[in-house]
Amino acid sequence: MDPYSAEGELINIHNHFHQGQYQEVVDFDTSALSPENTLPAKVLALRARVALGQAQDVLAEVQGASEPELRAVSALAELSLGNTDAAVKTIEELASSAGDNQIVQVLGGTVLGAAGKSEEAIALLSQHSGSLDAVALITQLHLQQHRTDLALKEVAGARKWAQDSLLVNLAESWVGLRLGGEKYQQAFYVFEELAQAPSTSSIVSLVSQAVCELHLGRVEEAQSALEQAVQKQPDYAEAIANLLVLTVAVGKDPTELTNSLKKVSPGHPFLADLEEKSELFDKAATKFSPKVSA
Amino acid sequence: MQASSGMLTKFESKSSRAKGIAFHPKRPWILVSLHSSTIQLWDYRMGTLIDRFEEHDGPVRGIDFHKTQPLFVSGGDDYKIKVWSYQTRRCLFTLNGHLDYVRTVFFHHELPWIISASDDQTIRIWNWQNRSLICTMTGHNHYVMCAQFHPKEDLVVSASLDQSVRVWDISGLRKKHSAPTSMSFEDQVARSNAQQTDMFGNTDAMVKFVLEGHDRGVNWVSFHPTAPHIVSAGDDRLVKLWRFSETKAWEVDTCRGHFQNASGCLFHPHQDLILSCGEDKTIRVWDSQKRTAVQSFKRENDRFWVIAAHPEINLFAAGHDNGVMVFKLERERPASTVHQNNLFFITKEKHVRSFDFQKNAESPTLLSLKRLGSAWVPPRTLSYNPAERSVLVTSPTDGGSYELINLPRDGSGALDATDSKRGQGNSAIFVARNRFAVLNTSTQTIDIKDLSNNTARSFKPPIGTTDIYFGGTGNLLIITPAAVHLYDIQQKKSIAELAVNGVKYVVWSNDGLHAALLSKHNVTIVTKTLEQVSTLHETIRIKSATWDDAGVLLYSTLNHIKYTLMNGDNGIVRTLDQTVYLVRVKGRNVYCLDRAAKPKVLHIDPTEYRFKLSLVKRNYEEMLHIIRTSSLVGQSIISYLQKKGYPEIALQFVQDPTTRFELAIECGNLDVAVEMARELDRPKLWSRLGTEALAHGNHQVVEMAYQKLKQFDKLSFLYLSTGDHSKLARMAKIAEHRGDFTARFQNALYLGEVEDRIQLFKEVDLYPLAYMTAKAHGLEEECQSILEVTGVTEDQLTTPKFGTASAPPKPVVPTYKANWPTKATSQSFFEKALAGQLEGMTLEEEPAAETNGFGLDDAADDGAVAKRSGALEADDDEDAAGWDLGDDIAPEADSDFVNVESAEAGGSGSSEADLWARNSPLAADHIAAGSFESAMNLLNRQVGAVNFAPLKSRFMEIYSASKTYLPASAGLPPLVNYVRRTLDETDPRKVLPLIPRDLEHLASNDLQQGYDTMKANKLEDGVRIFKGILHALLANAVSSESEVAEAKKLITSAGEYTVAMSIELARRKLGAPDTVNGNPELLKRSLELSAYFTIPKIEVPHRQLALLNAMNLASRSKNYSSALSFANRILANGGANRILESARRVKTQCERNPHDTVEIEYDQFAEFEICAASHTPIYSGTAYEECAFDGSKYHQKYKGTVCTVCEVCEVGKHGSGLKLFA
Repeated sequence: MDPYSAEGELINIHNHFHQGQYQEVVDFDTSALSPENTLPAKVLALRARVALGQAQDVLAEVQGASEPELRAVSALAELSLGNTDAAVKTIEELASSAGDNQIVQVLGGTVLGAAGKSEEAIALLSQHSGSLDAVALITQLHLQQHRTDLALKEVAGARKWAQDSLLVNLAESWVGLRLGGEKYQQAFYVFEELAQAPSTSSIVSLVSQAVCELHLGRVEEAQSALEQAVQKQPDYAEAIANLLVLTVAVGKDPTELTNSLKKVSPGHPFLADLEEKSELFDKAATKFSPKVSA
Repeated sequence: MQASSGMLTKFESKSSRAKGIAFHPKRPWILVSLHSSTIQLWDYRMGTLIDRFEEHDGPVRGIDFHKTQPLFVSGGDDYKIKVWSYQTRRCLFTLNGHLDYVRTVFFHHELPWIISASDDQTIRIWNWQNRSLICTMTGHNHYVMCAQFHPKEDLVVSASLDQSVRVWDISGLRKKHSAPTSMSFEDQVARSNAQQTDMFGNTDAMVKFVLEGHDRGVNWVSFHPTAPHIVSAGDDRLVKLWRFSETKAWEVDTCRGHFQNASGCLFHPHQDLILSCGEDKTIRVWDSQKRTAVQSFKRENDRFWVIAAHPEINLFAAGHDNGVMVFKLERERPASTVHQNNLFFITKEKHVRSFDFQKNAESPTLLSLKRLGSAWVPPRTLSYNPAERSVLVTSPTDGGSYELINLPRDGSGALDATDSKRGQGNSAIFVARNRFAVLNTSTQTIDIKDLSNNTARSFKPPIGTTDIYFGGTGNLLIITPAAVHLYDIQQKKSIAELAVNGVKYVVWSNDGLHAALLSKHNVTIVTKTLEQVSTLHETIRIKSATWDDAGVLLYSTLNHIKYTLMNGDNGIVRTLDQTVYLVRVKGRNVYCLDRAAKPKVLHIDPTEYRFKLSLVKRNYEEMLHIIRTSSLVGQSIISYLQKKGYPEIALQFVQDPTTRFELAIECGNLDVAVEMARELDRPKLWSRLGTEALAHGNHQVVEMAYQKLKQFDKLSFLYLSTGDHSKLARMAKIAEHRGDFTARFQNALYLGEVEDRIQLFKEVDLYPLAYMTAKAHGLEEECQSILEVTGVTEDQLTTPKFGTASAPPKPVVPTYKANWPTKATSQSFFEKALAGQLEGMTLEEEPAAETNGFGLDDAADDGAVAKRSGALEADDDEDAAGWDLGDDIAPEADSDFVNVESAEAGGSGSSEADLWARNSPLAADHIAAGSFESAMNLLNRQVGAVNFAPLKSRFMEIYSASKTYLPASAGLPPLVNYVRRTLDETDPRKVLPLIPRDLEHLASNDLQQGYDTMKANKLEDGVRIFKGILHALLANAVSSESEVAEAKKLITSAGEYTVAMSIELARRKLGAPDTVNGNPELLKRSLELSAYFTIPKIEVPHRQLALLNAMNLASRSKNYSSALSFANRILANGGANRILESARRVKTQCERNPHDTVEIEYDQFAEFEICAASHTPIYSGTAYEECAFDGSKYHQKYKGTVCTVCEVCEVGKHGSGLKLFA
């Protein structure tokens, strides 16, 4: 039986992880789990710790481990520490030696995807057999490649065998945010449900909810949700980035937020992108000049 | 008694006296037997006579349909009983035996029996299968007027002029005839004969009860369908109700009211009602419990002879002296209303219930309306008020009444309405959350009432108002017999009127923009302002309608659900076996109420109308989706498409090569045409293809066609005109092979091959011509050899004078390598998508292809290959896309289909941002898409923008607001999503980005700030703000044409302010007042500038400030004349008293000495504008340059410089104009 399914032992810890409740994952009591589920639970806990920024500790902990799962975790930790090449190397090794391991697939897909090797990541992930984690990752990678069509297909396929699972709902919402129209509202409902129920609420879902509201044009609501998120966790880059976008969208001055984003996450895609565009602007602007300079 | 409104006549026929009636149990048919010996078969729904059967001699009185077989039986005054087939339309056989008129005939409900009653005083039972008489029941001692089987039990009831009603037990007969028997035929005959003759020991049919009570003859009798009741009608004008048990029978009650012979009677199939008719020309309805009259219906001249009930549906028919009428007793349309996802309706039991479309669940009873109106009259309409959760119910009883009731919070069972408010009125509807309108047709008034039932206002509607409907906020739709009015409740007047006859219902679309007006046979679609959009006519009655979310109207007739699009296209969605009232369409489900007021869900296939809708809306993606996912291929669709002018789409459906060829030619799709022509390979097709291709300029296809047709001369000419030298040479060779000298000559001429020509002439012995040619080209040797061959010397010849030898011009461009610029064919998205299919592309990849098709400037979509490969490389404009011709072979059209590598899954797609740039010609959208360079190009083209540095912050602002970052899977970077301003749009070809600081924002924030700086005299800030506004508007998008005008106004205004403020700032820069006053030069300039400050067209209060400033400066410098003019202008403008006061003071002071001390360049009477660069006047009439964006004016010498106002555009560079709305 799939331990992540509704009846499985890991359903709760797995859901915590994907709802972005990383602390709950770390604190999850794994003592009662059956032996075959201990390792997956441990991997989840380690991933949660990486997500919480404790990559260094995690790396130390899995140093020298021989299980492919833990080696994959170490690659993830390396990645989050910025050692992309090392991480990719580890994963490429693992992919050839233990490519059928579900955890290796998922972590490998994450590492490769984050390292910009989307094609490889998808190739690795598509070996999965009924893993929703893999489905979600594939969906996201497709979306990153702007292949909404393929993402949609992926989700629709998963929807058939995993009716109402959290990950399918999430993945569908991600796709929905690309499709727009009514789908915005549906995505909003998914995230709102997660964000507003105390047992599932996390900063991730709160920010996601706010993003939906922003797309729905409900700027006031989006703003209050984002401010709430920033208050909750002042160093959460996504909250700041989206709040920044929102501030610009309503025609206000974003300087302060830009500065705090620079402080929290200097390498955030928003900043990098803006930097790049700024150069592009300067370059493009030089092609034009008045006939007579004053 | 008055005819009640309850009875609704559905059909009437005109004929001679109708004596017998029978309903078909399933079809809308009625059989009528006439006194004139004819039997008619009517379709009462369509109102058409289907058939006539005339074989009886004399009146036909008895008639009945068989329940399941296509049979009917009739009995007439010719003593005959005839059994007919309505399929073969023939009488199958005749049962003879009665010795007098046959009064009634009926089929048994399950056995193959017929019962007949006759004036010969017998009742006979016949077996219609073996066509024999099986029982004769004797006992009545006068004419038997009616005899019927019991619907379930083995009983027969009969009525006779002997004043009795008899009940017979026929269980013996059933036993005898239906039990399996091993008796021989002879035995059976013997036995039946024996019993027939046995007068007293008759076990087949025994009289069970004799019911006596009528004191005249009894005309009709019938059983209750379920209960042990009998009703009879007699010449004593009474309708009697009887009851029986196993052992006895007795009279229950009498219904008195007919004042002439009662001729027919029956029990209502479902309700506790009795219907009777009589020679007093009335039909009467009685309550069978209370035995009181419920209603009656009177005809002027016709006596009623017979009445019949439909076995299943709520219909009755009565025969009278001049025909038949089919009617029902009450409206069956359940009162209902839809609010969001809930349907509220009133059941037959008069319970208010709701139905949730999402959960597909019916609520328990919310409210009981038993006490509303009379027991037998159902409520007519229901109006729901979501704010107060109350309902407004109207009922036609007592000349119309309404009731306002609050629904209980939780429907927990049948609650009787409490604290209801009621009143008189024919229609009552909610018009606002706390107001409702009540129409009283008799007094012709409409009252608007509040929720405590107090009349808030009252007015007279247009004459003849019959009904009212909600007409959008604050409006009513008022229905008169010939028109519909849109009535403004506040202004108490009709604001629009549309002539539509007999509107009965109004159905609003979900978005409230359109309404459907339903009349009996017409549907008229109108906008919310009552402008007619379309109208259609139905021969069958229209019952109800509801709107699809996409703006398709679905309506139901008696037997169909149909659709109509806004443009009037309509069609059938499905057939109905029973009438329903549509309330909602959602996807493939149609929700409706049936006549029993039960909510039902019907499944429909919306493909056809969705397809047509997407065709109308040109939503090709949707169409493509439909084509791919459903089997819509039908001749009707193809002809529809062709008719509607979409041959290219029809093309996709057609398999038949000939048709495909025709369509391909029609839509100019040469590729398909070529393919089909190849397949069919007929000269006629090739020649048509050649003509068409020539018209397109596609000479390669032309070439192929000519090749196929072996039109060598045309080919040669084609090669000549395309400059294909090598092919011409080959043509020459071919001509040589063919031995066709003319062709050879022609080719040689085309090729400019003189030797060839000479050779040719020689071959055909045309030496003179050969000589001439050689001579003309100066080929002396050749001349000599010719002379030698012919043995003639040059002196013997007289040659004309030669000019210069002509040689065919050499082609400059190798046209043959590619097609001429081909005629732009009607390339739809559609074809591309389907072409894409050939290349294994998925639908979702289409965006790239679409833009190629619909992009801004690819009118010339040349060459099949360019088109196809363009699907992948949108910008590929190399002309190498032309066909690479092989040497000898005709161009291979097929090669196009394979030369594009298939883009299988994987690889990156184009992001939404890319789409924005493709979807929009607006610079702002390109900026949001991150395509800065194209945005700059656009701005440069539109308004001559050249200096982009000041726009950088605006560019970055727009770009920053274009994307959000959605945290998705842990470990991966956030998912980027694109913020749209088109929130409801999902079509990737139409999505557009959000542009921050839109027009409204600018007008309500930045502009006000700008005004504030003016008032506060912070001009540096002001200039910055107004320039900011200009920059923000330069890269912006608005949502309508009218907003474009507003934006232009704002641009002009911001420009004027910038100029004005700059002038004043320039003045202040001249130096401190003391320095200026000390220097005449500066003083002059200062005065001039202060005067110019008053020129730009800024808001009047602000102009006053400028004028005040100028006036004060002028009067201080003793320039009284100027000061006077400023003062006059201030006074003319009016406004704040303080300013006017000082103006008056200055005026009086200046009028004493209206002279200027300092001569300045300011003519108060001249018309001029201010150059924004030099701040000097540009007098009207002199040439000037302006900024294409903000309209600021410059002296001509500033042409080519950057505009000082917007700081972006080049002065005097005229562009196509700023685009803010596409």
